[in-house]
Amino acid sequence: MGMGGGNQGGTMSEINVTPMIDVLLVLLIIFMVIVPVVPKGLSTLIPQPPKDQNTPPPEQTIVVQVLANGVGEPSYKINEDSFAKSAIEPKLAEIFATRQEKVMFVKGDASLDYQKVAEVIDFGHQADVDNIGLITPQVEAGH
Amino acid sequence: MGISKREEGKKVNSNINVTPMVDVMLVLLIIFMVVTPMLGDKVHVDLPVAAAALSMENANKEDAVTVAVTRDGHTYLGQNMVNTGDLGAKVAALLENKTDKEVFLRADQRANYGKVMDAVDQIRTAGVSQLGLLTEKREQ
Repeated sequence: MGMGGGNQGGTMSEINVTPMIDVLLVLLIIFMVIVPVVPKGLSTLIPQPPKDQNTPPPEQTIVVQVLANGVGEPSYKINEDSFAKSAIEPKLAEIFATRQEKVMFVKGDASLDYQKVAEVIDFGHQADVDNIGLITPQVEAGH
Repeated sequence: MGISKREEGKKVNSNINVTPMVDVMLVLLIIFMVVTPMLGDKVHVDLPVAAAALSMENANKEDAVTVAVTRDGHTYLGQNMVNTGDLGAKVAALLENKTDKEVFLRADQRANYGKVMDAVDQIRTAGVSQLGLLTEKREQ
């Protein structure tokens, strides 16, 4: 091993590159691992009060209702017909297959957990309905 | 390079290399510099799981209006707790300068839906019709 670059007074001026490369590789791995999280969600619409109070609600609106049953699992209705949870999505897909305007409304009881209603909205999106409106107490009251 | 005499009897190396320690310290420093801003932002909420969730990158923007409803029923606008009654006015104030009025809702999956509906009602009074419900994506 020859001695390289010996200066006056014995100071060593040769920098080791190896540790620098190690640090660089570690940083590279860190940044590959920290992947920015993109938030995901379900888009919904909030019905605004109609300007003209006299327009009747459009025919054939589909309202999916989630009814709380005290402590047990909620029950689900599509426009007055009851359905089991697993049957909702196929039924919605069937109803909207023939429709041009894919609009549906979701109404839930106030005592429910949000998860239950979010699942129904999820079913709606799975059935390819893009416009899902949320019915809230104020929406029902018409203001 | 002088020859340092190594005595066979003593195996202890008392000349510790400082350089690797400094390297490790700097790397840790950089990790924390990068990770900390991502940690503190959000009100802690367990988002519901949805299979059909779409990406909503706008929710990460600086000026995105995010309303959170926690499991115990408190409503937050951004990081600050607000009374549900004041929410409408505050959201309206935030949305004044924006063209597209979209609000993001982060509600806990066990949050009372009545409270969530109250928050939605308030958002509605601010003239918002598009609401993004943020969720986790279910692994298919």
